[in-house]
Amino acid sequence: MMLSEALPSGIWMPSARDLAAIGPLWGFVATIVAILLAALVFGRNWRVTGTIAGLGAAVTAWLAARNLMNPPSNWAGFSPGSAPMFVADQFSSFFVLLISVFMLLVLAMWWMGQNSGISERLLRKNDAVEFFILFIGSAFGMAMMVSTTNLLMIVLSVEMASLPSYAIVAFRKHHRQAAEAGLKYVLFGAVTSAIMIYGASLLYGHYHTLDLAEIGRVIRGEGAPTLLMGAALFAFLVGVAFKVSAVPFHFWCPDVFEGASIEITTWLSVASKAAGLGLMLRIISVLTFKIASPDILYYLSMAVAVMAALTCTVGNLSAFRQTNMKRLLAYSSIAHAGYMLMAVAIVWLNKGNPTLGAAHPAFSAIVAYISVYLVMNLGAFGVVAMVYWATGSESIDAFNGLMRRSPLLAVMMIVFLFSLVGLPPMGGFMAKWYLIWALWDAGWAWLVIIAVFNTLISLYYYARVAKAMVFLDDGQEPIRTPALGQALVTACALAVLYTGTLGAGRLKTFADNRSRGLYAVVESEPSEVAASISARSAGDGVQRNDTDTKSALLTEHSP
Amino acid sequence: MANILNWIIFTPLIGAAVVLIAPAAQARAITWFTTLVVLLLSCLTFGPFLSGEYANGGYGENMQFESKVPWIQVGGTELPDGSREGGFNINWHVGLDGLSFPLIILTTLITWLSAWASWNFDHWNVNRGPKGFFSLFLILETGVLGTFAALDFFLFYIFWEVMLLPMYFLIGVWGGPRKEYAAIKFFIYTLAGSVLMLVALLAMYFASAEALGGTGTFNLLTYATSDAIRDVFNDPERTFLNWNFGAAMFVMLFIGFMIKVPLFPFHTWLPDAHVEAPTPISMILAGILLKLGAYGFLRVCYPIFPEAGATLAWFVATLGIINIIYGAFCCLAQTDFKRLVAYSSISHMGYVVLGCAIMTDTGFQGAMFQMLAHGISSPMCFFLVGVIYDRAHHRDLNRFGGLWLAMPRYGSLATLGFFASLGLPALCGFIGEIWVLLGTFNAPFWWAKLAAVIAAFGVVLTAGYILWMIQRVYLGKLREDYAHFPDATARETAILFPMAVLAIFLGILPKYTFDLMNGTLADMVGIMTPYVNDAVASASSLIGGR
Repeated sequence: MMLSEALPSGIWMPSARDLAAIGPLWGFVATIVAILLAALVFGRNWRVTGTIAGLGAAVTAWLAARNLMNPPSNWAGFSPGSAPMFVADQFSSFFVLLISVFMLLVLAMWWMGQNSGISERLLRKNDAVEFFILFIGSAFGMAMMVSTTNLLMIVLSVEMASLPSYAIVAFRKHHRQAAEAGLKYVLFGAVTSAIMIYGASLLYGHYHTLDLAEIGRVIRGEGAPTLLMGAALFAFLVGVAFKVSAVPFHFWCPDVFEGASIEITTWLSVASKAAGLGLMLRIISVLTFKIASPDILYYLSMAVAVMAALTCTVGNLSAFRQTNMKRLLAYSSIAHAGYMLMAVAIVWLNKGNPTLGAAHPAFSAIVAYISVYLVMNLGAFGVVAMVYWATGSESIDAFNGLMRRSPLLAVMMIVFLFSLVGLPPMGGFMAKWYLIWALWDAGWAWLVIIAVFNTLISLYYYARVAKAMVFLDDGQEPIRTPALGQALVTACALAVLYTGTLGAGRLKTFADNRSRGLYAVVESEPSEVAASISARSAGDGVQRNDTDTKSALLTEHSP
Repeated sequence: MANILNWIIFTPLIGAAVVLIAPAAQARAITWFTTLVVLLLSCLTFGPFLSGEYANGGYGENMQFESKVPWIQVGGTELPDGSREGGFNINWHVGLDGLSFPLIILTTLITWLSAWASWNFDHWNVNRGPKGFFSLFLILETGVLGTFAALDFFLFYIFWEVMLLPMYFLIGVWGGPRKEYAAIKFFIYTLAGSVLMLVALLAMYFASAEALGGTGTFNLLTYATSDAIRDVFNDPERTFLNWNFGAAMFVMLFIGFMIKVPLFPFHTWLPDAHVEAPTPISMILAGILLKLGAYGFLRVCYPIFPEAGATLAWFVATLGIINIIYGAFCCLAQTDFKRLVAYSSISHMGYVVLGCAIMTDTGFQGAMFQMLAHGISSPMCFFLVGVIYDRAHHRDLNRFGGLWLAMPRYGSLATLGFFASLGLPALCGFIGEIWVLLGTFNAPFWWAKLAAVIAAFGVVLTAGYILWMIQRVYLGKLREDYAHFPDATARETAILFPMAVLAIFLGILPKYTFDLMNGTLADMVGIMTPYVNDAVASASSLIGGR
């Protein structure tokens, strides 16, 4: 029995099922509240805060995993008004799981950093509460970004993901670089967000509904995408391109990565890309599903393809001259964002008529790529972090002779570096392989050639780090690394090697399973629903849009 | 799998894991362990040959020790009857035939000799971790063995790339003065070829999916023997980015492999890599890794794209001849002993490529034999240079003289080794060269006789630089500085001895070597002959059409 039937009409309440579907989001909120309340009780104790944050992250990850394990249930709900606020399907569950697990791992990194004795840590030991509010808030926003097709929620979630990130980048208040990074980030972010909000307003103004799925249905009925839709999509692309650090909206990336503390750099390098890509894929797939004559879409896909090609090339070439490891990895992450954007370029033109059962190749490629990217980037940044905590230097010179100073770190770093290049038998190659497969299958041969060419030119700067570690040696001290750090880095390296060899098929199957049934959210027809909705809403006096959709529909629709 | 081939491929990797776990202080034990492991492998590969299990199989049907295990069988759409359409069809598919078996025997033999040659490790200029050295060494061997045995193109590519990292570190850590430069140059050069191969890999898979209707295949044998696939691949109407598909694929794969051969003009990494690498690594590089490029031609380029091969035969032959002549001229100009041997490798590999280019029975046999002959003589030459370098600590040809007087045993073996490289009749190098030259002379192309005459001139040049080098180093007046040099130690003699024996054996009784490969090569040429005849017949119209 739905709660809404028990209450007097006029008061909308979500059902228990609706609440459970967005369980992980509640996990984030509960963690934030718990941290704030604990600060009242225990005072500014970073250990307590960290433990609570860790527990909260673990619970959130467990909830997300539970959502993932259930059969693909394409749910959209939480719609007190006209359009459903949240959706939950295999795709969004995967990204929420990725974000929550990554949050847990970055938290482990932070914990090790707190024990490291670097002066800036000592200065910030009391600021753990604020750190985690911002950090978890940003994670919450990113989780929301991938779980919605509502225009308003998209805007809100992007802001929720970005605003805490601006602050947390500038968290090292005794470093001028951090303040500069935060300022650059906020200026860039504000402008691109404004453009994105403008695009959203264009869509709302024309179609009078906040629901992207509804807009998509109307466009499908019209037959051809309008120039307005193209402009709005382009505006969304600008907003997402900022979060993903695509050219020409990437200029913030190296400075922000250098100015932020190492955990936040790690966090941003993967999570903001994951969230941005998830959002973009969602928007495109929902708006452009089964469009009969995709004229404008061809130009948009060309624009995304060109953007992707530029991004990876600029990222790779700019990394050549870097001597700061964080900046080098920042440009590397720009390059990898370029590879992932190539998959976005092919999601526009739906190949034939994808049935509910088939896995969309672009979605699958991105899921596989971001999973492997998470592991190898976490590993690479983990090594940089441990070297930084031991030596206080982020420069590539701190890596000189690392093979002698810490053989474990050096060997693991070699695995991560050459996985980032995309060399077999590492997982990075498999991820790239699935990506260029999807690109070729969709007919974008020139993107494949650009992708492999970039693989080649990226070798130089990754090999430069390997050269510093193995060939050069200026007699620096051996490095002591925390046991937890060693374990994490080893686990990441093993995961990279596994996905590159024995687990390659499993990676693909996993990615395919996350990419099925994505269009169920849009495929529902409103006709039989409108009658029941209007019957329910009769007499409550609340102004409702006639084309209300999801909550009632999906209770009988989900498989 | 109890399949011996899988064991052969993975034993070095298991050995590498053991070496990595072993404590670094046990240098002696690690060295012994590695040498014994590769010796065991060498015996394992000789075993199938001696036991008579190995039969001279044809191409495609009679693969020996074949092992096929599904690896990545995912993706695509599920059909109603439960099968899959589209998606990936990648298997662990390895096997041996007349093309790969001799090369695997060569690989394990040379690896063993190189491991043994690494025993003077502590005399090298940088005394760094035998643990790292031998683990990388063993991983490299796995990569090489896997590449030779792989019959699935994707698997071939994976093993091809696996070799790059160990080689980069082996040259870059334990090499000479310009080791970092040589190492990164090698890495980038080879990776450039590999990414071209990757694009070709993808294009060929999708074309095969079209030909087979549904799911494609990466099986190299199927590509070569299936009529449906060959028709699609060699279809003159089919295009790839506005070029003829077959020609584009052939060229991309050709560039990928030619960098490894190394073929002019992509040969410039080789002198640096060889000179800077330590002796054992030079032995492996020259003896085995160069053969991978030519093996790629014979396994991938020519059987699968015979039409493009026949059309471009003149171009490939020209490059081969340039290698021979230009390489020999470069040798004549060298003053560094090791660099001279490096350029001689370039020159000898030119014969291999010329033999491949003409696509006849004799040509392929000559190319394969020359690969094996060079695979024996070249490591021998590099080891000989290494012996002198260990004593003199320089490699300047003009400063040597009369070493044969100071080191009689070494001098004899050295002369034998360099004569084998020269191509003296009754030694291995002669058979390879003469087969290629005869094959070129008799090839059906209009330019064939001219090519043979020019290539034959290379023999004169080879004799020139080898004999001049021998005269400068081993003959003449003995200088005071070298009079006290100890003769070749027991270990050095023992390393040179098998190579010397094989050089003579291959030179006097080439029949046994040819028996290993003739069946496969004959079948391969049988696939290609119609295309060669077509190309020859339409040669005049082709030239007129351009």
